Amino acid sequence: MFATLLQKELKSILLSPKFPATFAVCAGLLILSISIGIHEYQVTTRQYETATQMVTQELREQAHWSGVNNRTYRKPDPMQIFVSGVSNDIGRWSGVSQFEPVKLRHSAYSDDAIFAIFRFIDFGFIVQVILSLFAFLFTYDAINGERESGTLALTFSHPIPRTTYLLAKIAGSWLGLVIPLLLPVTVGVLLLVLFRIPFEASHWMKLGGLLGVSMLYFSFFVTLGVCISSLTRRSNVSFLLCLVAWVFLILIVPRVGVIIAGQAVPVPTVAEIEAQQDAYSKDKNEQHMKSMEAKFRDREALMSGMTKEQREQYENDHMWSWMEENDADQKQITKDIEAQGVKLQEDLRNRKALQERLAFSLSRFSPASAYQLAVMSIAGTDITLKSRYEDGLRSYRTILNAFTEKKQKETGDVGGIRITMDSEKGMSISAPKENGTLDLTDMPQFAPPANASVMPVTDIGILVFAILAAFGGAIAGFLRYDMRS
Amino acid sequence: MEQTPATQPMIEALGLTKRYEDETLALDNVSFAVRTGQIYAMLGGNGAGKTTTINIFLNFIDPTAGEARIDGIVTHKEPLKAKAKVAYVSENVMLYPNFTAIQNLDYFARLGGKTSYTKNDYHDVLRRVGLEDEAHTKRLRSYSKGMRQKCGIAIAILKDAPAILLDEPTSGLDPKAGFEFLGLLTSLRDEGKAILMSTHDIFRAKEIADMVGIMNAGKLVMQRTQSSLAGENLEELYLQFMAGSVERAA
Repeated sequence: MFATLLQKELKSILLSPKFPATFAVCAGLLILSISIGIHEYQVTTRQYETATQMVTQELREQAHWSGVNNRTYRKPDPMQIFVSGVSNDIGRWSGVSQFEPVKLRHSAYSDDAIFAIFRFIDFGFIVQVILSLFAFLFTYDAINGERESGTLALTFSHPIPRTTYLLAKIAGSWLGLVIPLLLPVTVGVLLLVLFRIPFEASHWMKLGGLLGVSMLYFSFFVTLGVCISSLTRRSNVSFLLCLVAWVFLILIVPRVGVIIAGQAVPVPTVAEIEAQQDAYSKDKNEQHMKSMEAKFRDREALMSGMTKEQREQYENDHMWSWMEENDADQKQITKDIEAQGVKLQEDLRNRKALQERLAFSLSRFSPASAYQLAVMSIAGTDITLKSRYEDGLRSYRTILNAFTEKKQKETGDVGGIRITMDSEKGMSISAPKENGTLDLTDMPQFAPPANASVMPVTDIGILVFAILAAFGGAIAGFLRYDMRS
Repeated sequence: MEQTPATQPMIEALGLTKRYEDETLALDNVSFAVRTGQIYAMLGGNGAGKTTTINIFLNFIDPTAGEARIDGIVTHKEPLKAKAKVAYVSENVMLYPNFTAIQNLDYFARLGGKTSYTKNDYHDVLRRVGLEDEAHTKRLRSYSKGMRQKCGIAIAILKDAPAILLDEPTSGLDPKAGFEFLGLLTSLRDEGKAILMSTHDIFRAKEIADMVGIMNAGKLVMQRTQSSLAGENLEELYLQFMAGSVERAA
């Protein structure tokens, strides 16, 4: 019985004008997006390789280990072809040196703002926005359309359990959507192989995960469409309700969640943080200057009754200790300023994390958000991508700084200009000798953070719950449904 | 086909009453019986309760009181069992417009549990109901109402159920199609089917029905066998009963 109903449902969908339209749009968009994704991946990979080689060459050409200024680029990931996530929003490279903090700069969208306006249409977007709409188009009249056309009464003059009929309706519509999804994805996979995109076992598993979650996602919209159809008598009403539900779930809830979180947990802007840091730094430096002035006055007071010769002698005797004292003060101030910077950054990150958690929790009321977060998490292009990279870069910076210091000590070469104060020889200025190019063979290399693909259990759980809730609604509606035309 | 004891009616209404939530009384204690090899014609105007009666037999609605039985099975208690024994043709047969007649027949035959039919069987039954061969593989969207009705009766024939419910089956058919349709019903009766038919068509009812019931305002106001109607003018009787009820209502 189920097989007969399912077969008919599928046949109806395949023969209806909806199917070729859906198939053409899905196939066209998916193949186009995968093709563009492959092209973009190849371009960014070439840029990455060229830039990395240039940085290595620049490093090699530097004369001194002191002040080695490395620049590290973010390695493109082939999963970006399917789910670009935040990869185009975050910077592509960061300087790694003793003198500048780690910060990813120059995102693809900041370089080409037009792409930020018309964002990249990837697999995730097509499923989230377009396939969900098609799911409603397939199902909004699943039940009431049959009632209106008079076939429901004839069908139910036969001994058919209502739940079997409902399941066949859902399964038929679901299969009708799987075909427009899987066929172009198969073509996309062939393109990956054809263009020799380095897809490893882990990438194939992730792609499988993406497809699985996508099927769960549009199962929800198929079930919800059938649910709405089984709760209404007229198909024009259910069409309108489906449209409202789609707008609400896809466009409104995710954004409202973020807006509420933004209001509930205010996060200072980067400019505010920098202003706070500057103020602290200025305050500390002023304190230091006042302290220096006080010390200078004290020293002057001590030398006030001395002759010129005694004064010079006294200054020569104490110059070194004074310099050490000043240097220690300066170092302490620098340390305090850095500590304050770390504290402010940590506070910023904590606030951002809290805001993100709240925004995600609220937006997850829509399965569309749960789906988006799930596929980004599987593809490894989620919101943690930036912090993962920056954390990795910070660790690398520590290792690189230790390495360059070690190299400086080994070569006795600290670079710059050396000013030497000697009580006997007086002050002398010297420049280090040129060493030629640097040998980078044992220089630590940056290892991109492991693509921490996390199984999005919460989001999958939300999708499953949403499907069950919609199915429950459909069953409740259909068990009481009046079959009469 | 399963044989039913001659004494047990195949289609039976026992004190059937339906009161809707808005307190409208659609059926008021209606009782009748249709035995195998009988055609029962339910006559009545719009809103008389004919379609409500059929809807209760199909378990599309539950009765407020009384029972509708198909081969002794109470339809609202065991609807799936009862539906297995009944075929239905509506006033306006609507099938899947993107399917051909053969595809529609195949689908509904399978729903009725008949999986052994071949394409030839479908062609044969379509010929039997009077559909030309070239129409068999055409999509239903190009069919006229008469052609769809013929398809509907073909579906009922293929189900091979002992009971057939027809809701205004000749409504909108041209005289020729109506005549052919009655011929089909007669042959089905001769095969031993019990047929309950609601209709406005007094003349055709008199022509083929073994029993005639007149319904008005939810009540079965008259019930006669064909032999008892032999010497009477059914149209006059119908009008008398309708007028009588109008007077009673007034």
